[in-house]
Amino acid sequence: MKRVKKPVFFIVALLILLFTYASVFGIKGKNGDNTVTYIKGVNDIRWGIDINGGVEATFTPVTTKKATNNQMDAAEATIKQRMIGENITDYEVYTDYNHSRIIVRFPWKNDEKNFDPQKSIEELAATAQVTFREGMEYTTQTTGSDGQPVYKTPKGTTASNIILQGSEIEKATPEMTQDKTTGKTTYVVGLQLSESGKAKFADATTKMVGQTISIWMDDTMISYPKVEEAITDGSCEINGGTNGFTAAEASALANKINAGALPFKLSITDSNTISPTLGKSSLSAMRTAGIIAFILVALFMILMFRLPGVVAVISLLGQVALSFAAVSGFFPWQNSFTLTLPGVAGIILSIGMGVDANIITATRIKEELWTGKTLDMAITRGDDNSFWAIFDGNITVIIVAIILMLVFGPKNILSYWFGASTTGSIYSFGYTLLIGIIGNFVFGVLTTRQMTRALSAFDCFRNRWLYGGPSDVKQMEGGAEA
Amino acid sequence: MKKFHIDFYAHRRVYFGISIGFFLLGIIFNFVFGTQLDTNFKGGAMLRYSYAGEINPNTIEDSVQQAINRDVTVTINRNVKSADGSQTLNNVTLALAGDDSLSLENQKTLTATLTKLYPKANFNLVTSDSVNPTMGRSFFLKCIVAILIAFLLLDFYIALRFRKIGGAAAGFFAIVALLHDVAIVYFTFIIFRIPLNDSFIAVVLTILGYSLNDTIVIYDRIRENRRLMGLKTGFSVLVNASINQTLTRSVYTALCTFISVATVYVVGVIYNLSSVTTFALPMMMGVISGCYSTVCIAGPLYVMWENRKSRLRAQTAAIAAPARTPAVPAGSDGSAPVSASAKGSGKKVKTKAKAKKRKR
Repeated sequence: MKRVKKPVFFIVALLILLFTYASVFGIKGKNGDNTVTYIKGVNDIRWGIDINGGVEATFTPVTTKKATNNQMDAAEATIKQRMIGENITDYEVYTDYNHSRIIVRFPWKNDEKNFDPQKSIEELAATAQVTFREGMEYTTQTTGSDGQPVYKTPKGTTASNIILQGSEIEKATPEMTQDKTTGKTTYVVGLQLSESGKAKFADATTKMVGQTISIWMDDTMISYPKVEEAITDGSCEINGGTNGFTAAEASALANKINAGALPFKLSITDSNTISPTLGKSSLSAMRTAGIIAFILVALFMILMFRLPGVVAVISLLGQVALSFAAVSGFFPWQNSFTLTLPGVAGIILSIGMGVDANIITATRIKEELWTGKTLDMAITRGDDNSFWAIFDGNITVIIVAIILMLVFGPKNILSYWFGASTTGSIYSFGYTLLIGIIGNFVFGVLTTRQMTRALSAFDCFRNRWLYGGPSDVKQMEGGAEA
Repeated sequence: MKKFHIDFYAHRRVYFGISIGFFLLGIIFNFVFGTQLDTNFKGGAMLRYSYAGEINPNTIEDSVQQAINRDVTVTINRNVKSADGSQTLNNVTLALAGDDSLSLENQKTLTATLTKLYPKANFNLVTSDSVNPTMGRSFFLKCIVAILIAFLLLDFYIALRFRKIGGAAAGFFAIVALLHDVAIVYFTFIIFRIPLNDSFIAVVLTILGYSLNDTIVIYDRIRENRRLMGLKTGFSVLVNASINQTLTRSVYTALCTFISVATVYVVGVIYNLSSVTTFALPMMMGVISGCYSTVCIAGPLYVMWENRKSRLRAQTAAIAAPARTPAVPAGSDGSAPVSASAKGSGKKVKTKAKAKKRKR
């Protein structure tokens, strides 16, 4: 047997404990009054709407013709703009062009006591009112969920003087232009006005050269370009001022302006709301279940396998910690993952499935001991013989977990035929199951073996009884003398 | 060390009987009650409110019917515990008849009707679900396709893997075991009258992966033992010995998984979390079935097949060369008298195998 030095056990065990601590509590520092999160813990997990409470709704255009991609983009832009305006963070919007559907999912706002989900879905679906107004006087200024200032409710002349209605804009398109002298490319939004819009806009811009025209969606200002010259031919550009637009900004603004001229209404085909109280209650119930399940499995392992059982419990701790880390955004390269109720169930399920690697190895060692092998021989043979069984056992579940993720993911392999998924909660289950199985493989094979071998180097842990074999106190004494 | 010596082959009729009995029960329930699909598969609407005080379900049913012109079934859950405090609430669930979704206007009308009926009950929307039947059907189809894809991929894996450990026949019986487990999970939903929903898909897929890994571990042992015990050993002895050797592991892993899922189930029942219990209960059954189907169904079926094959071979050999018949029975076995003595011979074979191992 390859000897493993005694301290290895303590090093590995300590590393697992540290990892567990960090993944549960995170690592946070204080910078003045602000708490800085260096490593995210369980409290930083992004919960799905079935835990946090929230709304999921599917919108479809009410139209006999199939909506074009541009129209769908405009409808999506409207919904996003409203989310930002309402300061709702963490929203998800999926647009399915093939089936003309927009799926929106957003959690409850933390500060809101009396959130009316039905009203908020209705507000999202309402037809966008896009207006071009004189000046840029607003009543309130807040910070939206994207960190940009949000100006709301026009007042004064801005409120009274509407230059153009959204329906008077034929189309807005993002365009790329190149400065002839510097060669620098910038992005602009090109506007094409209808006949009635053309006349009104020509009038207004002739009077207002050098002044600001603000563009509003519903009650929120989305842009406030300055008039550089009179526009009489019904086509113009919004160029984003001195810094210019990025490609993304230009297309976002174009989509929003287009929303004002959408030829259809959005209807709500599906809706699903969950109150935060129900979700919180489910989560704490699942937490209780997880802790009890861990304790029961740990007791079972220690009673059945003695010393390897104890080692298995330490490894299992590492596996659970990996599951937490994988959803909380523990590692700097990954984003946090939305964890749903089935996702939590996946973590608990993998506590039970996760001891499989340890069970296979420990049973093999036990078998070898009973055939009369020495401890070192038994451990070596047990490790060698069990590897492929563990590999086989894991690979089938991995296949299944990957299919679950591919099929139930927001954008998935079956999207083409069945559209974006409305129910994302199973996706989370596939993910935690996958991580659990990978964790089982990493910890159940790697750390368990190192720890078992290191422990077997201690004189006091040489008794084969501790590994499930026959008791041999006499042999141990003999060994000590020699 | 405790060793198992269960003759799975001899008891095969009992095991087949248990499975067939469960299937029959499931089929009867299926005929009597039909297959229920959850709203997210067939479309429909359901709203749940929390309330205080006393309300009368019949009054609500009548008023709602008048207000939105659609039948509604009202169920009341009293004293629902919330897990994060001692506070208990009463819940009332309104399930609307038919598969159509409920427009937001009607949802609002419904809330208003309730509040008008019982102004002091302080109705609060706990959860609402309204699914368009087209969306539901497309989601259902997608889930079925998901199961088919998983099944195909696993078959592919079986074909790849079983080339080494028993060939097409073994692979076929592994698939039979998988179908058995899917059926058990399905009938669990039917018997406990849980509407099929997306958890059904999650449970079925998980059990597919879980059960297959058990089967592979056992067939792997069979292959290993065939080398150790020699070709002369009867098939039933070989398979029995292999199952018994891996039984500790199969049972322990299944038990640990079962403990975890059962804990989730019990907590779900205590706190009345239907989304959790409808997931955990079929999973519990699936875990048991996954272990059971491999040990008690796939193993014995495989033996029956191999025995039949060698008997057929014996017959053809007998027809082709009648003079040589006496030599054949040594290679074949599995007819009733041989399997009855399988216990004894199993032990003998094992010692032989060990002797060989030591020599190496």
